[in-house]
Amino acid sequence: MENKNWKAENSEKVLIKGNYAIAQAAINAGCEAYFGYPITPQTEIGEYLSAKMQELGRGYVCAESELAAINMVMGAVSTGAKAMTSSSSCAVALMQEALSYASANELPVVLVNVMRAGPGLGYIYPAQGDYNQAVTGGGNGDYKIIVLAPSTVQECIDYTYRAFYLAQKYRNPVIMLADGLLGQMMEPATFGNYPYPEVDTSQWALTGAKDRTSRAIYSCAPDEKKQIQRIYDLFKKFDVITENETSYEEFETEDADIILTAFGSMTRNIKAAMKVLREKGLKVGCFRPITLNPFPTKKIAELAQNVKNFIVVEMNMGQMFKDVKCAVNGLTKIDLINRPCGEWLSVEEIVSSVEKILEKNYAASV
Amino acid sequence: MEKNFILAGFGGQGILLAGTILANAFMLDGKNVTWYPCYGAEMRGGTVNCEIVVSDSEVSSVHKQDTDYALVLNQQSFDKFVNRVKSGGTIIANSTLVAKTEPRDDIKYVFAPMGDIANSLGTSKVTNSAALGVLASVCGIVSKDAIESALEKVLGEKKKELIPLNIKALEEGYNNLLQVS
Repeated sequence: MENKNWKAENSEKVLIKGNYAIAQAAINAGCEAYFGYPITPQTEIGEYLSAKMQELGRGYVCAESELAAINMVMGAVSTGAKAMTSSSSCAVALMQEALSYASANELPVVLVNVMRAGPGLGYIYPAQGDYNQAVTGGGNGDYKIIVLAPSTVQECIDYTYRAFYLAQKYRNPVIMLADGLLGQMMEPATFGNYPYPEVDTSQWALTGAKDRTSRAIYSCAPDEKKQIQRIYDLFKKFDVITENETSYEEFETEDADIILTAFGSMTRNIKAAMKVLREKGLKVGCFRPITLNPFPTKKIAELAQNVKNFIVVEMNMGQMFKDVKCAVNGLTKIDLINRPCGEWLSVEEIVSSVEKILEKNYAASV
Repeated sequence: MEKNFILAGFGGQGILLAGTILANAFMLDGKNVTWYPCYGAEMRGGTVNCEIVVSDSEVSSVHKQDTDYALVLNQQSFDKFVNRVKSGGTIIANSTLVAKTEPRDDIKYVFAPMGDIANSLGTSKVTNSAALGVLASVCGIVSKDAIESALEKVLGEKKKELIPLNIKALEEGYNNLLQVS
């Protein structure tokens, strides 16, 4: 029973559910086709677009499976169109092969994953257990996906815009990694206008070979040298993405002894825990990667030089933990506060866990 | 200031709508607010709830273990959420369907006949609006006017004809409690 009577006037603040916000942002970004299959907790994205895309004369297909959906997206984006799919955890697992192909073929696929609990079918409550699935990937071969992690409904809008832009700018698949909490909650947000320039796809898109030689996009590479070069090129491209697009937020890190790190909607909880711990006299800061891939390794390494302890807070068994640990590279202590899924770690739980960690690491000295 | 609310009742009593209206009212008041529903295999006749957090700064966590205010429209919800109210917090119950018991002595109890108020206006369907009126007068951090504006905004053009009756229920709920105290 959500309020769908709101008008998406650009500057108006509207109370809107994360899933609807993502769907409307996709429309604003110029998404010309959506392909998907329902799954909680992201079904409202497809529900919303099933009506709107038809009204706008754009494409909407409720595919027979997630596997079909993402392959349809590959087909659509290979023509230079903006297209997307959305799904959740266990069904995103079905799309991994296609993500490998889309990376090899340099296709600007946009995928929104509204995470639920796994492994296996799991259940519909929120979780952050697909960090590895998004960042490391389950497809074959060497490839990298750009991964954006929103923490508010406003960021669901902003990063949907960014996902479409980055996908086309770099001809690389982009995943927006949200969670059931963000998908289901409502929060005031503003749509604004799609803030990015349109990307010229005319040099590679399959648009019919009228008045030009034909093109083909495929990943089969029987020529060993060419295949080797292709992978080098893909990774060179990702170096550029790392250089240009790595993004993060930091809060009160200047004087911090301890830095709490989280991604996605857990960011709000660590910021609130930071305030409580600061009031208790502890010098605590927060660091939050926005791009999970490329990961802000360099920045964390820099912060690690002046900090005593990194503490990673996440709703999984420590998936981002290993990337932070890798970035810290032995310079500081590093600990994990986590729960596998379900009810988000509360501010009080985070505060008391931090205190226990400090007691363990520094006895009475802190 | 950060306060949170749990609204709960039977599926069909309009709990999620009441929560949406309340969250819109906070937004119209210029506050930061989040609305989070229980979601999944819920069904008509089962219990349903949503959680609203309102804050002057960014909402810290959207889904909390305990609550400042619980607004419960049926007995099951009272039984389920009475233990989720913070010490010193308030449970506001629809006495038409909830027995007046006080199982804890560290929280406040408000019993108001929200269902009866709605029935006296001709339909139990506006119990949720009467409940919002009671809630507004109890918590004092959202005005009746803001809830009225939110109600008009949420029901919108399509359900315009339902607005006067719901506003009436809202006012009766609001005034009912003033008469009691």
